[in-house]
Amino acid sequence: MKRFSAWGYLTFTVWGLGAGMLVRGWRLAALVAVELLFGLFWNREGLGMLTRWRFWVFVGTAVALGPWLGSRAGLDGADLGAAGLPGWWTGLSLGLEMAARALALMLAFSLGMSALSLSDILAVFDRLHLRGLGFALGVAMNLLATLQEMARTTFETIKLRGGLRRPLAALRLFLVTLVTNTLRYGDQIVNAASVRAFDPSGGRRRSLSLTRADLVLAATLAACAAGCWAL
Amino acid sequence: MSSYRVRDWVFVGLFGALWGVVETTLGTYLNVIFPSFTNTFFKGVILGSIGVAVALTGRYFIQKRWSVLLIGIITALLKTLSPGGSRIGPIVAILMQSVLMELVLSVAGRPQIWAYILAGALAVGWNFPHKFVMMRVMYGRTIIQVAQKLTQDGSAMLGLDPSMAFWILAGLLVVRMLAGGVAGWGAWALGGAVSERRTHRQQVATE
Repeated sequence: MKRFSAWGYLTFTVWGLGAGMLVRGWRLAALVAVELLFGLFWNREGLGMLTRWRFWVFVGTAVALGPWLGSRAGLDGADLGAAGLPGWWTGLSLGLEMAARALALMLAFSLGMSALSLSDILAVFDRLHLRGLGFALGVAMNLLATLQEMARTTFETIKLRGGLRRPLAALRLFLVTLVTNTLRYGDQIVNAASVRAFDPSGGRRRSLSLTRADLVLAATLAACAAGCWAL
Repeated sequence: MSSYRVRDWVFVGLFGALWGVVETTLGTYLNVIFPSFTNTFFKGVILGSIGVAVALTGRYFIQKRWSVLLIGIITALLKTLSPGGSRIGPIVAILMQSVLMELVLSVAGRPQIWAYILAGALAVGWNFPHKFVMMRVMYGRTIIQVAQKLTQDGSAMLGLDPSMAFWILAGLLVVRMLAGGVAGWGAWALGGAVSERRTHRQQVATE
């Protein structure tokens, strides 16, 4: 369930990325817990990456790498500021910290960005006086499937006509066709926009105001950061 | 960016989408061949070179400052908005590559082939420090310290001089930069070929 405006989710992403890079040790676990809670309450879609096996292979590799790196490099407790701890424990701590940092950064990015729709991003660009960039993003989003289809058709045509027997000539043909057709689409869009007297720098701005929930979120995140700093 | 007309914004969107198509289709295909936790060298070089060639070809048709950077921003946003695409590593790489290309092309001023080659070489060459930067950001400084210690141990164990490690790393960087240079040169040639074809088509239409 979306509770905040685009500003709220952007604030969360920036806060999560900053905190993920700065904090160390047990504070990283606290940060991951805060992010998971945020995801559970306000953006379950953003937690989708936790269901992919490749993600867990990535995290597991980081955890497993710790003891191995620690033993190979001959680290002991003193290297982590805790003298007296056995080497394997030091390595495991190192691996867990690496995995937690990666998890915190990826969660911050995924939870914040997956909550933003195309219209949210366009509105943010509008507010930042970058309306043209929003227009370009709209063009790109709308033509992505068309370009994919065009690339596939071009490749299949070259393949069926035996072009792959000469790979370099086929590559040149493929790229020239792809770019020429892309530019042809571009000309059509420009003509359509000109006929409608479209001006990327003019017109009415989309509204995207800060809500009370965004302010509460920003204050809570600031309090979390201060608490983390004080501990 | 006030000098940008509708045509420029449309072309920025189109070339951003084209780079996005390369990242999503070819990227997915390469991910199957080279999974992310195995060898990323070939994947990075292939994807980086094609992406850089697309962005530089875009610059050929949008002869305005910041156009390559804007194409990179559009590609990064498409990657962010694609399903399962909120991955921080490729997005940082795309943005850094476009920043490097834009820097070289801005310094060069008017379009010149050496600038395209240098821009391509630097952009694909970024794949090399990218891994270290992302390791530092994602895992923290401890892994760098451990890696340094491991390199020292490894060179002592294998009886190799630590300077050999330097040459191996330098070789990998040079291969990447060569691939990028070829991509830059390819973009220049592709831009010229397409431009010629468009001019020819316009002439035929006029006749």
